[in-house]
This record gives sequence, structure tokens and C-alpha cells, in this order.
Amino acid sequence: MNEIKSPHAFPFRTLPEALLAAPPEKPFVTMWTSEDEVHSVTFGEFTKHALQQAGYLRSQGVRTGDTVVLILPQGIPVMTAFAGAMFLGAVPAILAYPNFKVEPAKYRFGLQGVTANLKARLILVDQEFPDELMQHVRVEGAARLVRCDGEGSSAVTADVAQGINPDQLAFIQHSAGTTGLQKGVALSHQAVLTQIHLLSQALRIGPEDRIYSWLPIYHDMGLIACFMLPLVCHTPLVMQSPTGWVMQPATMLELISAYRCSLAWIPNFTLQFLARRVRPGDRSSFDLSCLRALINCSEPVRASSMDEFLAAYPAAGLSPNVLQSCYAMAETVFAATQSDVTQPGPRRIWVDGESFRKQKLAVPVSKDSPGALCLVSSGSCLPNTQIRIVSGEEKELGPGGVGEILIHCDSMLDGYYNRPDLTAKALRDGWYWSGDLGFLLNGELYVIGRKKDLIIVAGENIYPQDVEEIVSAHPAIYDGRVVAFGQFNPALGTEEIFVVAEVRKEDDLQNSPGIDRALRTAITSELGVGVGSIFLKPPRWIVKSTAGKPARSTTREKLLSEHAELRAQGESS
Amino acid sequence: MLEQRKKMIEYIVQEVMRRPDTKVEENTPLVSSGLIDSLALVDILLRLEDLTNLRIPAGKVQAKDMDTVELMFSTAQRVGKPRKG
Repeated sequence: MNEIKSPHAFPFRTLPEALLAAPPEKPFVTMWTSEDEVHSVTFGEFTKHALQQAGYLRSQGVRTGDTVVLILPQGIPVMTAFAGAMFLGAVPAILAYPNFKVEPAKYRFGLQGVTANLKARLILVDQEFPDELMQHVRVEGAARLVRCDGEGSSAVTADVAQGINPDQLAFIQHSAGTTGLQKGVALSHQAVLTQIHLLSQALRIGPEDRIYSWLPIYHDMGLIACFMLPLVCHTPLVMQSPTGWVMQPATMLELISAYRCSLAWIPNFTLQFLARRVRPGDRSSFDLSCLRALINCSEPVRASSMDEFLAAYPAAGLSPNVLQSCYAMAETVFAATQSDVTQPGPRRIWVDGESFRKQKLAVPVSKDSPGALCLVSSGSCLPNTQIRIVSGEEKELGPGGVGEILIHCDSMLDGYYNRPDLTAKALRDGWYWSGDLGFLLNGELYVIGRKKDLIIVAGENIYPQDVEEIVSAHPAIYDGRVVAFGQFNPALGTEEIFVVAEVRKEDDLQNSPGIDRALRTAITSELGVGVGSIFLKPPRWIVKSTAGKPARSTTREKLLSEHAELRAQGESS
Repeated sequence: MLEQRKKMIEYIVQEVMRRPDTKVEENTPLVSSGLIDSLALVDILLRLEDLTNLRIPAGKVQAKDMDTVELMFSTAQRVGKPRKG
């Protein structure tokens, strides 16, 4: 597969070179925590801090090619540490900072698994990293766990490693939030620069742009679109923490308004949060006329959420082109498709509901046809990307045929880090098998959902297997007789986790509230997410497949048929 | 128990959790126990502002400050400012 070649046009070959080429006086990162706590650095100051971080990492034994795991809260220090590691030619990977819900024993187990797989030389945590977790973290082999040096103000600065090869690994980003099946996506400088070059062209990034972000920096959307892209394109960035945003969604619009930001990436549920969870009286104070594009990404794009957002802010000066979409994943660095930002977008079509469900075929019909479904495009392929759609029997499908999305491009992962087994499954003959379902029509991609039962809660990927394993461990639950799946909650604008579990003895159902509470605590402490509903059922309720395993989709259908209110709720979106 | 706190518990049990049979007290952990998801805190924060008639400035509250009803009200007293109008 060598037909696609799109060398980027940047005058630098690696990410450290891109940072060093930035105008030193230009503003880079503004980290907004509250109205009286705002930290800003220019590109020059950022680079200086990064070189100091590099000096500290070197003093801790980090050398070219070593993996460095960063567990630091959202902010400038984690970004300078990341850049500092790259200055040494080392390979940084950011992991989610533990939140207050985490249980120390579970955290230790998860961290051990990830760091062992990454073969990390150093795990860097901040000064505030909880002592009780620090005592529980045990690292093995050559790895060391250290607290970072204050604000990275080491007196020693390291020289930038010479001769970093563009094909060398730049960093590792993780494709899922959970630990059991954590997959590290290894990316080269060349792959990242190629992606950013093409994406910045598609988005027409210019010197006047300024990016806003609340996205977690360990997630591909936060790491690539809201850290690597501004670093390479020398674009100022205004950011806040994900938890700060989710508690008070209006802050996003306040910051865009105040700092005159022009671009932001968001998972779909953000639109609904902004429409429903900002007081009507507060909405008129925002001037969003500076915003060129709000790019909807990482969850299926919903027309209803877009309409609700636009209707909630009629006087904010929003551009008719402001809502856009893209289809992105860690495995292709980030975006595979992007909608046309010069047009009111993204494109919507209406398809015949019956052919869509029964024949897996998207047949366009008029908006008013009975049973018509409205679907939103994720745009067309970036110039270096090809997409094919294949059926369950791996046959290529034509326009409108719904099947698995396969992607080929030259900014793709080298493989899952130290996981040749997973790499072999996902990468075949140069094509990445995404596990997502969708179709192509008139050159645009429409993403329908996941083939692999992945649950996406507020943009974060949760594997049902992880939830099922935790629930199965409860003594009252029949081991292995558990099904977890995602159910769209229209009030939240994102999926919630639903669990169906069989109790061992029917009498156990009398203690349902106690079991329910114990299961919620277990899931939250291990995975860091809450659960929508738990349905405890008598023995032999769950539908099994011919192989004797619980059949997720059939069990889900059975549950929805018994609880009609759930189906109505999911479809009202 | 103060009337405001009773109203908050009622709101959480009926509107957020939608499980009126669940027993929640002032010091029951909510987020850390998985009874509610942190995504629901935004609704609770808006309700807290209404019940206390205070404005809670952005960036001054973390999820751990909202883990129990007792904590919610002490947080509002600590960081809240009088609402205009």
C-alpha cells in the first residue's frame, strides 16, 4: 500500500524542531483555572520550561528512546514535561491523573499493567499526587517513580537531542480510558506532522486563530487537536480542566468570548450541556462571533444536539458555518475525515428507516417521508486517507451500504506498543479495521456507531468487558452472567452504562438495593465512571449465545422489550 | 436537618438518580460511591445556587467538594457570593 504519499510542507522534520521554530514572543498556552488563577506562557517561555524539564528528566536517567509516563494534572507542567521528554528523543505517554474516586489498590493494579506494557524508564507524578496512592504504587524492572521538580524549574537545562529521526517514535497515545485493555498507539514524528499539515489545511488554520479546549490532554482529541496542532502551527491555546468545565459548562463560552477563540473540538454531548445547563439569563452575555468552527468529534454526531445548541444561543453572533464535524481516532493520529469549514455544515441526509434497519442500506429519501431517519455527515477524507466499507463477510460495499469502516493513510500508527497480537488484529494489509460502523455517500462518511459494543460516555471509551468483569466479582452475582452496554440518555446527550446481571439465588433479589450500591461503588472506584442503571435479574434470565457466553445485543433487546420506557427514552433523541 | 438540605436530597434522589427508594443522608458519599455520575454535578450545582441564593464562582469547586450533601452546603458557604438581582 504505497499509493498515498503526502509529505508535509512544514520547514521542520520533528516536533521538537517545530517548537523551536515558533516566534518566542507569541502567546502559546493560557491555562484558566478560575477568575483569579490564570497562567499564561509564550512559545519562548514554554520552550524554556520544556528544556528545564528535559534537564530534570535527564538527571533522573532518561535517555533517547526511553518511555516516560506522565501522570500530572491538566496544565502547563504536563505539556512542558511532554515536550521536554521529546527534546531528549525519549517517548512520552500521558496517563489520566487519578481522581478522588479511585481506590488505591485498583489504581496500583491498573498502573502496573500499563507501565509494564510501556516498559517505562520513568513515571513522573506531581507534588500533589496523593501520598496514599504513592505508597501503593510499585514499579518493576528498570522503571522509577519520581515526583516532578516543583514547576519544572530545574536549574539544569538539557540540550536538544541531535539527529532525531522523523521516523522515530515521537510519543504514545492511548486509545481507551480503561486499564485492562489499554492500547498504546505508537506514533512517529513524521506521522504526526503529516496529519497536522493536512488537518491544518482542511481547517484553513491561519495566524489569527486561537484554540479553546477543555479536553483531557491524555485523549487524542485533547493531545493532537489541542496541543500538538497548536504547537506545530504556532497557534495560541486557551484551556481549562475537563472537571472545571463539566461542573460549570458556561465557562467554555465565557472563555471563548473573552479570549476571542476561533476553534474548538468537542464531543457531541457538549452541545447539549451548553443548551440545557447554562441559565437562559446568562446566555445573552456571550459574543461568539469570533468562533469559526466548533468541531463535533469522538461521539456520533447528532442533528438534534446541534439544533438545540443553535436555538439556545440566537443572539450570540454565531457564524452559520460554526458547527462542523470530523471522524478521528488515535490510530490515525487523529482525523480521517473533516467537514468543509467554509460551508454551513455538516451535511445532513434523511434515509429510509426500514431499509436502513433491515437491509443495512442508507437510501436517501425526502425529509418528510414517513419513518425517515436524519443522519449527519462526518465530512470527506483528508487527502492522504482512503476509506472502504466492508460487510460482516468482509465484502466491499458500495455507496450507502452500512458496514465496518476501514482506513488507510500515511499518518497511521506503527502498531500498538508492545502488543503485536492487537496490532495484527487491527492492521491488515495496511488497512486499519476501525470497529466502527458507517457508510459512504457522495464522497462523505456517515458514522453510525460501534461494531465492537464499545460504550462511549462523554467521549470516553469504556469496554463493556471491563464493567462485566467488575460486576461478576460480586459474591451475589452469577459469575460471567453479566452484560453491560451503552444506552443513549437524551437528557445528558451521551451514553450511560447499563448493566444486566443475574443473581446466584433468586432470594438475593430481596437485597437488590445493597447489591446495586456495592456494584456502583466497585465500578466507579475502578473505572472512574458512574453507572446509569443496574438491572438485577433472577438466574437464567440472560440470553446466551451458542458458544455459551452472554449475548450482549440479544440480552439488550430483551431488557428493552421488558422496559419499554427505556426504548422510548433512547429513541426520543 | 435544614430545609434546604432536605430539598437537595429530594432533588438528587428523585430527579438525578430517579430512584426514590434509595436512602440518601447528608453524609452519604454520592460521586465516590457511584450513586451519581460526575456529569450530573452540573445540575446539582445549579440547584445548590438556587437553594442557597448564592453564586458559586467558576473554577472554585471540585467534584470532591460535592461528594455529600453536607459538603455541598459547606462548599457553597465557603466560596459562594451573593447573587445579583
